[in-house]
Amino acid sequence: MYSFKNIMMAMFLLLSALCHSQIKNAITENIQIYGNCSMCKENIEKAGNQKNVAAVIWDKKTKTASVTYDSKKTSTDQILKRIALAGYDNSSFLAPQSAYDKLPDCCKYARELKNAEPKSEIALAPHAFHNKAVQTGPLQRVYDAYFTLNDAFIQSDSESVAANAKILSEAILAVKMESLSDQEHTNWMKVNTVLAAQSGAIATTKGIDKQRESFKELSKKLYELMKTAKGTVPVYYQYCPMADANWLSKESTIKNPYYGSQMLSCGKTVETIQ
Amino acid sequence: MKSIYLLMLFAITASAQKVVRYDLYVRDTLVNFTGTQKRAIAVNGQIPMPTLTFTEGDIAEIYVHNEMDKETSLHWHGLFLPNREDGVPYLTQMPIQPHSVYKYTFPIIQHGTHWYHSHSGLQEQIGMYGSFIINKKADDPTFRKGIDDLPTVPIILSEWTDMKPHNIHRLLHNASDWFAIKKGTTQSYGEAIRHGHFFTKVVNEWKRMNAMDVSDVYYDRFLINGKNENQLSQFKGGDKVRLRISNGGASSNFWLSYAGGKITVVANDGNDVEPVEVDRLLIAVSETYDVVINIPADQTSYEFLSTPEDRTKSASLYIGSGIKQLAEPLPKLKYFEGMKMMNGMMKMNGDLDDMSMSMSLNQMDMNVVMYPEITGEGVKKGKHSHKKHTDGGASQYDSNALSDIVTLNYSMLKSTIKTTLPKDTPAKELRFELTGNMNRYVWSLDNKVVSETDKILIKKGENVRIILYNGSMMRHPMHLHGHDFRLINNQGDYAPLKNVVDIMPMETDTIEFAANTEGDWFFHCHILYHMMSGMGRIFSYENQKPNPEITNPKVAQRKLFADDRMFHFMAENDFATNGNDGEAMYQNTRWSIGTEWRLGYNDMHGYETETHIGRYIGKMQWLMPFIGFDWRYRKMDMGEREENLFGQTNTKNERTVFSAGVNYTLPMLIVAQAEVFTDGNFRFQLERMDIPLSKRLRMDLMWNTDKEYMAGLKYIIGKNLGFTTHYDSDMGLGFGLNLNY
Repeated sequence: MYSFKNIMMAMFLLLSALCHSQIKNAITENIQIYGNCSMCKENIEKAGNQKNVAAVIWDKKTKTASVTYDSKKTSTDQILKRIALAGYDNSSFLAPQSAYDKLPDCCKYARELKNAEPKSEIALAPHAFHNKAVQTGPLQRVYDAYFTLNDAFIQSDSESVAANAKILSEAILAVKMESLSDQEHTNWMKVNTVLAAQSGAIATTKGIDKQRESFKELSKKLYELMKTAKGTVPVYYQYCPMADANWLSKESTIKNPYYGSQMLSCGKTVETIQ
Repeated sequence: MKSIYLLMLFAITASAQKVVRYDLYVRDTLVNFTGTQKRAIAVNGQIPMPTLTFTEGDIAEIYVHNEMDKETSLHWHGLFLPNREDGVPYLTQMPIQPHSVYKYTFPIIQHGTHWYHSHSGLQEQIGMYGSFIINKKADDPTFRKGIDDLPTVPIILSEWTDMKPHNIHRLLHNASDWFAIKKGTTQSYGEAIRHGHFFTKVVNEWKRMNAMDVSDVYYDRFLINGKNENQLSQFKGGDKVRLRISNGGASSNFWLSYAGGKITVVANDGNDVEPVEVDRLLIAVSETYDVVINIPADQTSYEFLSTPEDRTKSASLYIGSGIKQLAEPLPKLKYFEGMKMMNGMMKMNGDLDDMSMSMSLNQMDMNVVMYPEITGEGVKKGKHSHKKHTDGGASQYDSNALSDIVTLNYSMLKSTIKTTLPKDTPAKELRFELTGNMNRYVWSLDNKVVSETDKILIKKGENVRIILYNGSMMRHPMHLHGHDFRLINNQGDYAPLKNVVDIMPMETDTIEFAANTEGDWFFHCHILYHMMSGMGRIFSYENQKPNPEITNPKVAQRKLFADDRMFHFMAENDFATNGNDGEAMYQNTRWSIGTEWRLGYNDMHGYETETHIGRYIGKMQWLMPFIGFDWRYRKMDMGEREENLFGQTNTKNERTVFSAGVNYTLPMLIVAQAEVFTDGNFRFQLERMDIPLSKRLRMDLMWNTDKEYMAGLKYIIGKNLGFTTHYDSDMGLGFGLNLNY
């Protein structure tokens, strides 16, 4: 058993060495590239990679990419230009607005590099697609992230679900409790550990069915929170009898996150929070 | 005597004309744009040629030092000058001989953005183009504050190919589809089926069209001032910059767009126009545009993007310093939508049907059906793309009505001054149809090339009005030497002055100019390979003085006509297991000399050649009567004879005959051939070559009344190389290697 592990390890090392050795005249640089989630990671790497010429490994936490390239065949500028055209700002290039707009919602990172231009009001508003802000208070990011996550469940896109759950869990950790009212604070203390645990679980679990199990609990706790910390627009608490579970939506129309397209309109609104 | 001297001195100082001298050293050079060294021509060691700058009122003295082993010439594009300085070899001067010096000198009597280039052969393709900028005098009454006092940058656009330009020209004339393969625009049956356009492709071939495209040549690089990427880091946020842009490309129209907002067009072809704000514009081959752009923010540079019409690649100019804000790239063309559109426009006889839309001035661009940014992304079979207007008629091609993107067209150009021609002068009206044939790469006016026509005589003092209709399938930038013309549009007395008018298929445009400068002036399509194929005319003034530069007009004319009379050679041979199969062709605008051969490896298989000399008839050149010569030898068993469908017999074992016949291209591009031989035999043959099955796979089919048939497949590996397999009734099944030139 031990030797098997060793052989695997050796093969792995050999393979990774082989992969790298295909890029000749290799130079590696660490470069800042903006992005949010694991979908961003996929997009960035896909845009940057070029067989035997360039390999990009992007790290979500540090927002930096390790870029290895054949210095005789390409340059960092060529690689970074491709990445910017895919929608991602980086140290050399700003993405065209249209490319940024086409990114999935979860990938819409804050464009910190873009300098203020008098006319480009759209460019500066992150999450421009969420035209209705549910709550303007300190919990807004949490609510927004939840609704985006809900959309991903409706699409039944496991990877996007994981990516958005990650954003949600980050938003939960980022809530500044001192800015909450007393009532909100009490409720927040009741639910925040479950919210963090469940969103974390969704982010790390593979498979949409398991992710949906965690989403049940998450939605229930968020409902309890939202009842006291209301937003400015109505939110609909909806129920699916088949899954025996609830969820929250900004729309009164039923779009079932537990079955997605299989049974999209199954369910009913049980309460309107406003 | 002294007083006369004094008087002359006075006259010279009074006009205060400044002589501005440039020395241009033309040398062969090696360049490396793609990783391989290739021959090019550099002037003063650079590509593009140096920018020549003058002020209106100067006298230009330009010394051309030809240090090459080849002849050259320089044409001053858009300039008003004496005819002998115009720089068209064998028309306005004799070519500048190798290792000699030639002086051009002329007074500068206008202002604006112009350019200059070689007018000899295909030299313009490999580096001989440069900006020619004329500033207004400081006290010019037309001086525009906020425009003429802005910082100015000359920009010249061009393209580069590693292929020799003569080879490009030859391949174009031999209907090679290598460029289409390189561009990914083969539009084969396989691709048609994948896109749900099988029927579109069938109709297309039924109407005898090959794959459609918006450009003829594949280029390796596109350049702005000689580089693929350039930066103007001297500017900062809040600055306004005027770009003086010339399109020095040999055959590429460019889309211009800007990441930093709107583009304000302030001049065209060297003439001021009322400022007009657009999101993008197309600069046709040899046009010039002056545009003003803003730099919106500091520490950011904004991409000014130049994309060739075929959108294969692009070139970038970053304006400002700091992080680079990219412009949105133009998405790939939807070729099958374009093919469908062409099918609708093409009549069975090869004429175009504009469905009485009376198109002009680039306002309706039929190609919008191919632009995803205007008519939506291509969608899979069974769905329709998003069109805001589906009411049919002309508006379905008006890109400004279809989208929020404002695209410049000629109706938006308004001169800043009245441009009306002198009144009460005699007027002459001329009409031309731009004609052409992509299959054989013949481009002409009224189906006649330069060498097939006489000079068109005009009178000094008259107004010449020319009505141009484009009946061909490509757009043509028509350029007039030595004069600006008014392009009649909806601006009345303020119609813009231009010297190039880009005419899209089926458009009709009217231009008019005052005939005021004697000489022989070339009027031609500025796409280099179209011009070299003979698409043009020469305007000449009645009773003008002979040009002293042209010492022997007869010889000069013969040399001038040699361009479009040129024959192009092609040959291919299939080295197969069952024999050699090949052909060689030598063709020009009208004539074709071709030999086909089938050579077996032993006497039983036989040896056979057929030679045809024919002349193409008509605009579409579908008809070709020919005379021929056949020879064949094949060892057959005693007494064995072959009999054709008509009961005529012939001995294949030794046959030498002459023939007469006719080729006619049928729908589906099938060539029917009827041939009568001197031994009384008759043969009818149907042949379809190069059916595009996939991007690189072609099929050939042939059958004739001698009971011969053939079917073959070819996989194209490279420009000159392919794998083949074919079955032949004489030689059986074979596999081989196809080499072509």
